[in-house]
Amino acid sequence: MTTINRRTMLKGTAATAAGLTVASKASKTFAAPAVIQSGPTKIVYWGSFADSLGVAEKQLCDNFNAAQTDVELEYQYQGTYEETAQKLTAAVAARQTPDVSLVSDVWWFKFYLNNVLAPLNDLIAANNIDTTDYVDSLFNEGVRNGESYWIPMARSTPLFYFNKELYTEVGLPDGPETWDDLVAVTDQLVTKDGDTITRSAFAHPNSASYVAWLFQPVVWQNLGAYSDADFNIQINQEGAVKAGNFYRDSVVNGWATTPDDPESDFVNGYTASLMASTGSLAGILAESPFEVGTAFLPQAEAFGCCTGGAGLAILADKSAEQQAAAFQFVSWATAPEQTAWWSENTGYMPVRKSAVDGMTDFFAENPNFKTAVDQLPQTQAQDAARVFIPNGDQIIGKGLERITVNQEEVQPVFDDVAQTLEEEAEPVLEALAALG
Amino acid sequence: MQGSTSLTLQNSVSTDQALPVGTSRRKRPPVSEWLLFLLFIAPNFILFGVFSYWPMIQTAYLSGVRWDMISPTKRWVGLDNYRYLWNDDTFRQVLVNSFWFAIGAVGGSLVLGLAIALLLNQKLRFRDFARAAVFMPTLLSGAAIGIVWVYIFDPRYGILAGFLKVLSVNSPSWLGDPTWALPAVIIVYIWKNVGLATVIFLAGLQGIPRDLYEAATVDGAGRLSKFRNVTLPMLSPIMFFVVVTSILSSFQAFDIINVMTRGGPVDATNILVYYIYQQGFVAFNAGRAGAASMVLFVIMLAITLIQLRFSERKVHYG
Repeated sequence: MTTINRRTMLKGTAATAAGLTVASKASKTFAAPAVIQSGPTKIVYWGSFADSLGVAEKQLCDNFNAAQTDVELEYQYQGTYEETAQKLTAAVAARQTPDVSLVSDVWWFKFYLNNVLAPLNDLIAANNIDTTDYVDSLFNEGVRNGESYWIPMARSTPLFYFNKELYTEVGLPDGPETWDDLVAVTDQLVTKDGDTITRSAFAHPNSASYVAWLFQPVVWQNLGAYSDADFNIQINQEGAVKAGNFYRDSVVNGWATTPDDPESDFVNGYTASLMASTGSLAGILAESPFEVGTAFLPQAEAFGCCTGGAGLAILADKSAEQQAAAFQFVSWATAPEQTAWWSENTGYMPVRKSAVDGMTDFFAENPNFKTAVDQLPQTQAQDAARVFIPNGDQIIGKGLERITVNQEEVQPVFDDVAQTLEEEAEPVLEALAALG
Repeated sequence: MQGSTSLTLQNSVSTDQALPVGTSRRKRPPVSEWLLFLLFIAPNFILFGVFSYWPMIQTAYLSGVRWDMISPTKRWVGLDNYRYLWNDDTFRQVLVNSFWFAIGAVGGSLVLGLAIALLLNQKLRFRDFARAAVFMPTLLSGAAIGIVWVYIFDPRYGILAGFLKVLSVNSPSWLGDPTWALPAVIIVYIWKNVGLATVIFLAGLQGIPRDLYEAATVDGAGRLSKFRNVTLPMLSPIMFFVVVTSILSSFQAFDIINVMTRGGPVDATNILVYYIYQQGFVAFNAGRAGAASMVLFVIMLAITLIQLRFSERKVHYG
């Protein structure tokens, strides 16, 4: 009999452990081809929607798996747009990327600049997808130098939501046409308990809730811009500053508030109106105990409204087979039928022109959804400063918080913001120059 | 099976000892001994190396580059990132916030922890239950606590607003108002961490010899005098330990802030670790995040060194 002492046992354990590691590695290598050869192609999808939107997103994925047998899609929720972008960045470094991911308006560009996103033109051609059926402005936002990098899926625009009962009382049953119309009735809409506003006429979100996205159209309405297409920053110039002063005055004059969650304030009757994404439409309608009205954004000097939201991108580091499978999901999820389903269940814009035809009955029953679709042709893509400069959204958003929450003077704040944006634009300009 | 194994083991150990001292004892340890030595230290060494030292070296390197965490090239910029922090108004505010957060969180845990410990050191009914209740928040996840407290603080629907209403005070917008947000976060932090301080103080209180109190009583000391002249001095090494560990952990508070305020409104609750996260994983400025991490490292190192110096002097105390 061999005697075992602690040392030999430790050595033995180490050896066994090492052996097991080697063995497990080997078995993986041997097992892999079998999986690839038979059965559906497995792909992983990273999504970003929570609550009722998340339920719809999950349902969309389940429907895809039920509709065909070639591809098996695994849905993985990753958090907000920002968190998804963070995880995708980490995933690229770790080479553990999903096959297809939701990328938001403000984050896709960073991945494009670093060649993370697969060009889609060949896949589009191979699958005979009629790209002219996509709403042009939405589709073209994903195109650089003639090549498509993401397909619009959950695209939204800002929309003006108002409490119909309150607005009818003040003589604006269809909502305000201009901001002046709104300002004129704020005295009647606001209720106070001493100095505390118990109901505001309007509510601004904070930077985490994309105030910079909702402020974008107000800047345009005042004939300003965040920047031009060549990254020349204009946020500290006349139009944008005027818009900023309008926001500041709204708080200083006591008719607008800056709650943590404007949408819940709205459905609970603590504010009479707000701007929010069309993607919030289904949720707001479901939760409001009162009748909700929707309208085009109010005008100032002009009308202005931007697009937003997210689309689907395929990762460049995947095999052709994986990419083809991923594209199958992308084209299926944005096909007219699914577009209509997704739109009706969330409030996101139908990204296919032909989808709108099939939604006539739905619009008749839900006129509020129609408002957003009617407004869509008048919308435009956002300024480069917010969507192409990394973190541009949060940089502008923090400036707006300083104006609305801290009530600081607009010009110096926007000068700060402009300086930061200019600094942050430098690496983007370098990367663009490198791409040629 | 098990029984026989352990038997064999014991036998072998005694056999080993009984063996006559052979050739190996007198020479230098053979290679196999060294291998064994490495085997023993390897788990710790590899873990620390991979998860502590290597990241630290990497961070120091990253603090000298400009990198968006995704592009293949990192450009060396020397001290630019430190220069950026030096000139950044936000970073200055972050340091001030971190300072106040530490003062509030540590001061609060210290005073409250000691008060609760004194209370629970007496003979009370349900004392064990009370001790468990005080300690429990320490065990909970900071993220979950944050979510619950967001509801508690809500100026309209929150339970705290309800209490304040009874006192006919209007609830401030705790998390939406820059003046109240930091105190609100500190309150939650204290609530979560006071249990740990309490337990340590309790242990300290129970370690104070009874005869000191008896002697004080004989000398005619009152309760307050006993507290000032016996309890506090005897507790001072413990108190020092609590202060230092609380400062270190308060500088690393992240979960509560991320869940409750995301550093806002307007950076009112943005403290050092959250700033590092924002620079690194929101704005993707690995270099600035690295530089801020080095600043944090230096602060922590300084606190630890002070602790070492101080506790060396106090080592024979009590």
